[in-house]
Amino acid sequence: MNVVVTPAMLAQVIVSGILAGGLYAMVALGLGLIFGVMRVINIAHGPLLMLGAYTTYFLTTRAGINPFLTVPVAMAALFLVGVLLQRGLVFRVVDAPELSSLLLTFGISIALVNLAQLAFTSDLRAVEYITGAWVIGGLAVSKPRMIAFLFAAGVTAVSFVLLQRTRLGKAIRATSQSREVAMVCGVDVARIHMLTFGFASALAAAGGALLAVIVAIQPEMGGVWTFKSFLVIVLGGAGNYPGALLGGLLLGLVEQIASLFLTSQLSEVVAYVLLVLVLLVRPTGLLGGRQT
Amino acid sequence: MIPKAPTALAVAIALAVGGVVPATAQGPIRIGASLSLTGTYAKLGKNQHEGYQLCEKELNAKGGLLGRKVQFVVYDDQSMPATAVRLYEKLITEDKVDAIMGPYSSPVTEAAVNVTEKYKKVMVAPLAATTSIFKKGRKYVFMVISPAEVYLEGLIDMAAKRGLKTIAVVNEDTLFSKAAASGAVELAKKKGLQVVYTEAYPKGSTDFSALLTKLKAANADVLAAATYFDDAVALTRQMKELNVNPKMYGVTVGGDLPEFYDTLKQNAEYVYGATQWEPTLPYPGNQEWYETYKKEFGHEPSYHSAAGYAGCIIYAEAAKRANNLDADRVREQLLKLEMRTIFGDYKVEADGFQVAHKMVTFQWQKEKKATVWPDDLAKAKPLFPTPPWTSR
Repeated sequence: MNVVVTPAMLAQVIVSGILAGGLYAMVALGLGLIFGVMRVINIAHGPLLMLGAYTTYFLTTRAGINPFLTVPVAMAALFLVGVLLQRGLVFRVVDAPELSSLLLTFGISIALVNLAQLAFTSDLRAVEYITGAWVIGGLAVSKPRMIAFLFAAGVTAVSFVLLQRTRLGKAIRATSQSREVAMVCGVDVARIHMLTFGFASALAAAGGALLAVIVAIQPEMGGVWTFKSFLVIVLGGAGNYPGALLGGLLLGLVEQIASLFLTSQLSEVVAYVLLVLVLLVRPTGLLGGRQT
Repeated sequence: MIPKAPTALAVAIALAVGGVVPATAQGPIRIGASLSLTGTYAKLGKNQHEGYQLCEKELNAKGGLLGRKVQFVVYDDQSMPATAVRLYEKLITEDKVDAIMGPYSSPVTEAAVNVTEKYKKVMVAPLAATTSIFKKGRKYVFMVISPAEVYLEGLIDMAAKRGLKTIAVVNEDTLFSKAAASGAVELAKKKGLQVVYTEAYPKGSTDFSALLTKLKAANADVLAAATYFDDAVALTRQMKELNVNPKMYGVTVGGDLPEFYDTLKQNAEYVYGATQWEPTLPYPGNQEWYETYKKEFGHEPSYHSAAGYAGCIIYAEAAKRANNLDADRVREQLLKLEMRTIFGDYKVEADGFQVAHKMVTFQWQKEKKATVWPDDLAKAKPLFPTPPWTSR
């Protein structure tokens, strides 16, 4: 009801917002990469995240591996899944009208969720690893969320170095900017598409693996992440990779601050109103999207 | 040549099958129901089905109902209200069943009950907890489980008795949780607790930092949270992180699952929860029923199993007292009936709304759910107040 917001409370939710934003940025970067390179909106991004979370769950509970050490394993496993999906299905719709790719990835998404229900059942699962918070100058910093944030920041940083510095990264960016020119310059575009899809799936898997210690795992957990990632890349500028970073942090902060001053229910409204405003004022996103 | 013996056999078979020879008219009583055997609610619907099966078996072992065998006719509604509507229509008009039992869940019941009302058929609806189903002037539908509004009653009652003054109520913004929260606010006011903070959060919320930051500032003695599982777990974890320390903290759904403790481990200690039924409750025959069920189906029953079984037993009792299957006469008995089954008490108001069945409040104590409310069922004293996170 009527709670007076103090600066300390505001500082507390800003901390939480940044921690959440780091995860948003990393997961959305994957969705943004696929969109940039293939012009495909991957609705199955969230379900791939869910598979990453299950990978961590099983490795942690069955093999007793530290959940944070399973992050690279989940990434590698989902990289393969992504490559197979791209090679088997998604490549067919790369040049097709947008509706085809939406339908296809929507179908993949439904298939993955239902397969997960069959294989893992709908029972809720969770990884209990670390709880509590570090208290720094009156601010509580959640231990699991902080560690997840640091991992996400690390993975995102490595991804940026990969994209900016390596030959492969340059090829990915070139393909994203102009497929024809990249092809003329000797880039194997089909291979880039495949690797990008795999890499994006690995980013989703990293998100799932990190979420495993924070939230309950169930086959339908991914859906909301598809939407949040989509929101992030549109906010930041679709196809513009640093935009995902900005969009992710912005979404995390807006959600938390709106929850503080208004209500949790309205925080989603605020996030989507922000999206509409950005689309009205800067249709290409805050950092500008890729020109078609 | 026409052999004589087979004719006699044919008559015997016809008699055994029943219905062929109208003069005897003693075929089994066929009870029709649609259940969620596949789809979203499959797991729970199957448990309810097993409750029905056990009831059928037990009634028949005791010589049936009104001197006739009992036989369930069950179809799968795939957890879909529209399918259930079609199936109840079929059960009543094509199969011409003698009696009806309810499907699984509030949404499916809400749809199916329109059919049974149309044909004036009594429906004991054992797994419908939504109050509004029974507040629409319907005549033939009867409630068995407690409504959402009283899930937090135990927590609030205990808080008031211990002299606590302020309460915060938060809920997921969905039908059930909203009803549980509004019920909690009403009950709290009635018991003289001051409601200092309320907030609803959207389904799928995983980060409660802002909500808990405000909650901490409101400094309520009691936190009543109308939750499902995910949010109950996330809330509890973040309460620890943000060091939010109400003297009592209770959740609704989810808190009673074994997974709640598995996930939170010692952080689940002291958390209060509510449940419709537990195998350990001292209701007559409950323990034996639990053992029989486990032996029969090879797994533990849930409250859905117990409610399904009890609903069927309640219908049978009313039919027995009416000495008839006529809907109006059974209805009259169901309205008068006061009964304690393995599921607890049954008594309804004139609209079929359940008023006797009690939600049981438990507290997680040393890895176990200890029943702490109501007093006549309590097995343990609540550990009160909940110690602050920092001194655990």
